[in-house]
Amino acid sequence: MIRSSELDPGFLQEVMAIPGGENLLHCWSCGTCAATCLVRRYDPSFNPRLILRKAGIGMRQEVLSSREIWLCSACDACYPRCPQEIHISEVMRAIRTIAIRDGYAPPGPSAEVDSALCSGCAVCTRACPYGAIDRVPVIVDGLERMIAQVDPNTCMACGICVAACPSGSISLEAVRNEELLTRMSAGGWLAGQSQPEGGKPRILAFVCQWSMRSDAEWAEVEAMQDDSLRVVNLPCSGRVDPALVLLALAEGADGVLVVGCGEGECHYKRGTYLGRGKVALLRSVLEQTGIGMERVRFVELEALQRGALPALIADMAAALGQPARVSG
Amino acid sequence: MEKLKLAVYWASSCGGCDISLVELGEHLLELARVADIVFWPCAMDFKYADVEAMPDGHIDVTLFNGAIRTDEDAHIAHLLRAKSRVLIAYGSCATEGCIPALANIKGADHALARAAFGEPTTDNPGGTMFQGRYAMPEGVLTLPVLGTQVRTLSQVVPVQYSIPGCPPSHEQVWQALNAVIEGRLPEPGGLLGVDARTVCDQCPRVREGKIRVERFLRPHEVIPDPERCLLEQGLVCAGPATHAGCGALCVKAGMPCRGCYGAPDGILDQGAELLDAIVAGMAGESDEEIRRVVSTIVDPVGTFYRFSLAASLLHGLKTSPLESGATCETQRIPGGREGDVA
Repeated sequence: MIRSSELDPGFLQEVMAIPGGENLLHCWSCGTCAATCLVRRYDPSFNPRLILRKAGIGMRQEVLSSREIWLCSACDACYPRCPQEIHISEVMRAIRTIAIRDGYAPPGPSAEVDSALCSGCAVCTRACPYGAIDRVPVIVDGLERMIAQVDPNTCMACGICVAACPSGSISLEAVRNEELLTRMSAGGWLAGQSQPEGGKPRILAFVCQWSMRSDAEWAEVEAMQDDSLRVVNLPCSGRVDPALVLLALAEGADGVLVVGCGEGECHYKRGTYLGRGKVALLRSVLEQTGIGMERVRFVELEALQRGALPALIADMAAALGQPARVSG
Repeated sequence: MEKLKLAVYWASSCGGCDISLVELGEHLLELARVADIVFWPCAMDFKYADVEAMPDGHIDVTLFNGAIRTDEDAHIAHLLRAKSRVLIAYGSCATEGCIPALANIKGADHALARAAFGEPTTDNPGGTMFQGRYAMPEGVLTLPVLGTQVRTLSQVVPVQYSIPGCPPSHEQVWQALNAVIEGRLPEPGGLLGVDARTVCDQCPRVREGKIRVERFLRPHEVIPDPERCLLEQGLVCAGPATHAGCGALCVKAGMPCRGCYGAPDGILDQGAELLDAIVAGMAGESDEEIRRVVSTIVDPVGTFYRFSLAASLLHGLKTSPLESGATCETQRIPGGREGDVA
């Protein structure tokens, strides 16, 4: 039940006063956003229409304290479909800005910069799909330097900057390089021997967490793991690190499969494209050196292709056929 | 005080590293006051027999430049390792393979065949091929033979330190030599003659920070703006993935950083990091667009691994441990000096 006495009629104006929030008034609550929302496919508790509606009628406390306002990954799948042309992720951002002002904190981790290592090269500021990273002057050891700084309100924890940073200065809880390496090698998997001629090729799969649409699907893939398959989930295929791919190949994997979302379905705007770009370039490197491009593969798993991953893994294993060849 | 005994050697290198020592200028006179040069084939007349005659550990410090490509390189690496208390890999070739190691892409046999028959300037109607041994009436002549793969010094013998750079900057070399002279060397295993962070830290160019590249260009295709970040102008600049130490020489001269100071601290594979940094800065909001930008990178291995191929993860992927010390097929002679290369 909504009590009018608990509503804050000023909240609408408060949101609209923040750049990006000005379109809140235009929402008809038609629900097109909820129907196209990629997050909602995975987490049905998230409904952008409801959040906008509640904000519009002034349910200030309920909106600001809710977990859902932090779930929008600003993929903007809804933006081009909204009949009122509301940039919903920007409205969401405005609401979060007020929440942070009121003392609420994003529930998840955000990327962190080690100012002792950062060179201010700007690779991360270009990489971030959200423009959440800027270089700012910071005094480090008595010297003013331009150091990357992450806005935790805008950071969606996709991990793209962690992979992109060439000096290892950016980390993100749960997807740090050390953490991924532990998951790759747990149980001595990486130290395993490449299979002898005719044996089953050993495949490491880096899988975007969003490309798996349900826990049941995850469970099925995880249950497939054995000596010939290791699955490591990533927040986004854009987080895939070429150095870790090469390390896996050098340490006993015959092939590395990178699984991302379908075209236009990336939760982090352009993460899938970056994942694909990295794998494409890595494949040319492997082909040019005679190691063979078949050792690394990128596949897109579209939203409607449920349960397709086992077949994609089997397909790569068949293509690898022969285990690692050493060419002179 | 007894003078320091210093040796300098060149294996498969261009000679630039020796020049970088000559660049020390008047510091060479200071060096001569505290150190005796006991071996430096490029600059002074010594024979291998002089080194062989030394007792083990006789040389205090050896600066070894050049990659390990031939059986001669490997032989002298072992010899100098035994005779030196401190062995330093000097320059990019000894540290990470450098330009000579790009031959590993196609292998030594391909390189020899290309040099003997394929070069436009080669006139070889008799089809003569390089041979390690050649019998003459007066006796057998020998030449060094090539191994299958170009290797770094530390892949052949243990080294205590590395001084990166192609060549190392002479200011850095002088500082490193001072550390040697004054006995201030750090714990073995690290780099000497470098600064903290990456080349971008020393680069004076202005980075806008959000510009993404739609098409990559090679240096001959563009006259870059002198003030702006070269990467943001579409030139593949290795600065973000390269250890600082040179003072950003190339970028100050209008050329993109080529990466000769090697990977930053704690980075496993310089080429893979550079690849990721380059893709991350690509424009493209669809698969097709990003693929189009990727396709504008010419020669990915030569671009990303120009200096570090022999020290990269690719090296291990390409070369089995058994094969790494073998003589290349072209020069393998029955009853010859097989196995010397290891």
